[in-house]
Amino acid sequence: MDSKTALLKKYKRRQRLVTVLPFVALAVLFAVLCLTVQAKGYRLPMYLKILLNEGVVLAIVATGATFIYTLGSFDISLGASTLFSATVGVMVYNATGNFGLMLLAIFGVAIGCSLLSSVLASVFHIPVFVTTVAMMSVLSAVAAQIITANGGALGGISIPAEVVRPFDVMWFKILVLTVFFAVCMFLFDYTKLGRRQKFLGGNPVCAKLTGIDLNKYAILAFIMAGIGVGIGAFLTLVYTPSVTTGTAGSIGMNILVAIVFGGMPISGGPRSKIYAAVVGGFSYIILNNILKILIDSNAGYGISQIVSAVFFLAVVYVTGMNYRSQLLPR
Amino acid sequence: MKKYLAMILAMVMVLALAACGSAAPAASEQAPAGDSGKTVKIGVLVADVSGEEALGFANYYRNYIQSNYNVEFSYTEQLADAAAEKAAIEKFAAQGYDAIISFSASDRATQLQTCIDNGLYYAVASGMLDDAQYEQFKTSEYFVGQIGPSMDTEYEAGYAMGKYFADQGAKKIAMYGAFIPNPMHVFRAAGVLAGIGATYGGASEKDAIVGQIFADQGIDLKKVESKDVELAGYFQGFGDTTFDELFACIGAQPDAFLSVGMATTFFTQNLNDAGIAFSDIDSFTSANGEAMADGKLVYLAGKYSSSIGPVFAAVLNAVNGTPVRDDEGNAISLSQDYLVATDADSFQKYAAADQGDSPIFSKEVLDTIIGDVSYADFSAAVAADRG
Repeated sequence: MDSKTALLKKYKRRQRLVTVLPFVALAVLFAVLCLTVQAKGYRLPMYLKILLNEGVVLAIVATGATFIYTLGSFDISLGASTLFSATVGVMVYNATGNFGLMLLAIFGVAIGCSLLSSVLASVFHIPVFVTTVAMMSVLSAVAAQIITANGGALGGISIPAEVVRPFDVMWFKILVLTVFFAVCMFLFDYTKLGRRQKFLGGNPVCAKLTGIDLNKYAILAFIMAGIGVGIGAFLTLVYTPSVTTGTAGSIGMNILVAIVFGGMPISGGPRSKIYAAVVGGFSYIILNNILKILIDSNAGYGISQIVSAVFFLAVVYVTGMNYRSQLLPR
Repeated sequence: MKKYLAMILAMVMVLALAACGSAAPAASEQAPAGDSGKTVKIGVLVADVSGEEALGFANYYRNYIQSNYNVEFSYTEQLADAAAEKAAIEKFAAQGYDAIISFSASDRATQLQTCIDNGLYYAVASGMLDDAQYEQFKTSEYFVGQIGPSMDTEYEAGYAMGKYFADQGAKKIAMYGAFIPNPMHVFRAAGVLAGIGATYGGASEKDAIVGQIFADQGIDLKKVESKDVELAGYFQGFGDTTFDELFACIGAQPDAFLSVGMATTFFTQNLNDAGIAFSDIDSFTSANGEAMADGKLVYLAGKYSSSIGPVFAAVLNAVNGTPVRDDEGNAISLSQDYLVATDADSFQKYAAADQGDSPIFSKEVLDTIIGDVSYADFSAAVAADRG
């Protein structure tokens, strides 16, 4: 009995540590960045603005994607989906000159693409990961075709900068992030949607035996991810009103990194955390910026990526400590 | 409870971060980088970090210019899209840089607008803005100008290469389209087709050919018609099937293999082994010199590493308060032609003239266009054939 109690206490200690660690890491990284920027004599306010611009799209798309990851699924097509949604949005605006229609097109395409992945997986009974790989290829190729065919000598397509310039302000981006995060947190932590998704991600067989419909919750998860992609695509256009074939190219993998940095297991289930994407996304962006400041760009390309990868592995090891427990999650 | 407290703390941090960030950089924070002995800091935007041409440019700035002028260059990593370009400019601004020189072309208008917003001087060193963009920004004090091959120059380079082989009596050629739909490669490829006397989809005019290549995302052999020179093979890009496509072209036994870029990087050995004369639009590197002296490279239209010297001079003038503007006060817009070598001697003439420690645009030459210089003098110096 004593040994079981000790084991439980040890488990809870580790769980607390793993829960707090991402926040501590974010705070430490933030402090290091501020000190580094100050020490170098750079302008801190501008750097903070840059961080927000770099992190907001990743945080939003990754927060939406958390619903998919919670199910134990994996969507690698979210970057391509963001590119395709932004591409269609630009084409619609250039054809109609209507901002509302552009928004409608962006969100329609984003949610549609996300749902298509889910439905294909359900209909053909193949892993979602496989359908999203296929979707990534298809969406990237179609977007590239549209962009290069319409971009001409400029190599990209764009909308007039003044259309989105009013939204390229910090308060708007903060507001969007806060509202979307609040809605996701409510759904994830206070409704049966989140609870059942965690159950499905942790033990799909038990969940099914209790009458939970995997397909229904998979579709809902992909809808949430699609909304995140739509917001991400819009904010991408707000930051730069043009789309090239490289737009949002790194988002797909960065989501994975953000979620892991935020302390959530890739396997999903009951340990999933809705805040992981925001905390991890900003941690990752801050880490990258610290490395780029500290490592002279003239010293060699890719060094910061190598250091970042090592850091990533360390985080996975530390956050994975309590997954190797003999106890069920609680 | 602790979890939500932590979440609230995180959100507060993000909000604080944004609140701090919303403060716009005050123009007065930037000390003027005049003749006061302050090091002029220039950020360089690059989309290619490994090509021989890109490395040559980087060496010229880092090794030659930096050791001869009180200036510091900082290169970005490979910029993949417009957002990366904008973020890079903002970081340079945050680090107190004075100017940006751009080799990256995802979204030049946004680059320029970002520089204006942050009080950074901006110049284009590779490619050019389109006419509408130039008109929009030409009077901005922060737009230093654009100096490099224009799209018309790219077309002419392709045209001259095609015509050279047609004049040499080539009856059957193969062609590599490099990375079409990259605009630079599209214009060069259109020039090659026109140069060999071919029509594309019935079109023989530059704009019509270019438009169709953009629409086709490449060159469709069925749309190429030529009386004198047959286009027997065509491929583009670089992937798993590239060498199969190359060998198919070699199997067609063309008189020449014309490339609009990168062939000297990818295919020199194969084309030398096959004994097929080939051409490229690239740069005057040592590897290309060997290919021309000992291999089958018979035509090279190239840039030389110090061709980006005038852009630096223009930027330095702007930072020092003596910007070069035309008679109407507009930013510089000058196209630079390619140098063409058709044998080892002409290649060596250009290559020898642009050595690392004695480049074509040496300190002595650049000093003539640094300071209070008229537009006419500046453009004359850029246009002078220094080969």
